[in-house]
Amino acid sequence: MKCTICIGSSCHLKGSRQIVEQLQYLVKENHLEDKVELGGTFCMGNCVNGVNVTLDDKLYSLSPETTKDFFDKEILAKVQ
Amino acid sequence: MNNLCSDIGYTSINKWGEQLCGDRVEIVEQGENSTVVVLADGMGSGVKANILSSLTSKIISTMMAANMSIEDCVSTIASTLPVCAVRQVAYSTFTIIHIIENEEAEIIQYDNPLLILLRDGKFVEIPKTGNEIEGKMIYRSRIKLQENDFLFTMSDGTIHAGVGMDLNFGWQRPEIIKFLEMMYDPSYTAKTYSTLLVEECNHLYGGHPGDDTTCCCVKIRNRQQVNLMIGPPSDRKDVNKMQALFHSKEGKHIVCGGTTSTITSEYLKKPMIADLDYLDPEIPPIAKIEGVDLVTEGVITISKVVDYAKDFLQDNESYSEWGYKRDGASLIARMLFEEATDINFFVGRAVNPAHQNPNLPISFNIKMRLVEELSECLKSMGKRIKVSYF
Repeated sequence: MKCTICIGSSCHLKGSRQIVEQLQYLVKENHLEDKVELGGTFCMGNCVNGVNVTLDDKLYSLSPETTKDFFDKEILAKVQ
Repeated sequence: MNNLCSDIGYTSINKWGEQLCGDRVEIVEQGENSTVVVLADGMGSGVKANILSSLTSKIISTMMAANMSIEDCVSTIASTLPVCAVRQVAYSTFTIIHIIENEEAEIIQYDNPLLILLRDGKFVEIPKTGNEIEGKMIYRSRIKLQENDFLFTMSDGTIHAGVGMDLNFGWQRPEIIKFLEMMYDPSYTAKTYSTLLVEECNHLYGGHPGDDTTCCCVKIRNRQQVNLMIGPPSDRKDVNKMQALFHSKEGKHIVCGGTTSTITSEYLKKPMIADLDYLDPEIPPIAKIEGVDLVTEGVITISKVVDYAKDFLQDNESYSEWGYKRDGASLIARMLFEEATDINFFVGRAVNPAHQNPNLPISFNIKMRLVEELSECLKSMGKRIKVSYF
């Protein structure tokens, strides 16, 4: 599973760093390093709905507050 | 014609408690490749010294740049400088470095500590001849310059550093030469090198300089071009033109901005791989595209570079940050401030609709202003700047 987080200007200002750090932590904590690949990308052209995150090409809109929820529902549920 | 150019930088600190510096550095360009640099040290300190050294440096640099003889310059100074009421003399010491076509230097010295030449990191004694003009002993030298020559001229605040405090007789010339040789790194800019020396003096003075202290450094180096692209063109049709022009330029290439780098990766047909390491929490990570030397985010990164540039021209305190860090802004700062002598900006005027949000500090106007500010700063660093808008 590939999870890509936008780190462009607009998403950066909306908190993509916190999201990256949370996801890195959560992936490690759940020992999913082999199953989930985290990556960054610049602008996805959807700045209005940032922070933009794609999970195997499906687009999600996250904020630092909803990241844990997203991880539980979308990542953890699917890999297990 | 050669490919050499001179990078000139200086740093001063004031005598403790003084608001004005009595040392003055004046740099006058004489055509494309010749420059006159004058460092003058006015007698006394404060306002009086400041006036004396300002007049001296300004008069000499202007007259020298107009090809007048040193005899004329000296007699003009002797007859125009205001006479000190206490000491009944008009007095300011000076060093003139006249760089001719970036391959030869004429050095004229009057009473400042003698100029120090480092060639490939080793001290080289410069032969000089002395003659008397208007009762002043003036030394002249003429030397050929080569790449990686560093010329240091300084006011006597340097050799007096630490007198009666840490050092009995001050920081003498052989010690200064040893220090400069020890610190040698050919990648230093003139500004950085002069700051290193002056900072060391300040340290020896225990943070309370007993005299105005100035070092001016001239570095002879090869010209090096760096190209920086930021923003997509306002007209989509110009994408290929802008990219083609950018990539055809000689030298290193920096691409700034999310959309811009996406376009570049499409144009080059090479994937863009973004990093996820936040080396500086403020600055978004960098990315890699084969064929481009550096790919970074746009506005946030550049605004940090502008901050660094402004500080570089003032106290150069943030050198300790951008001088070694590996985040996007520090990498750009090193490439533009240290490596580059000629910088081409390729600026796209497209407006990113998502950025036109009053809650985000990254609107179009800010981007344009940042580019202008940055190119002004780089010009003040003595670099040749070309900005093309698309």
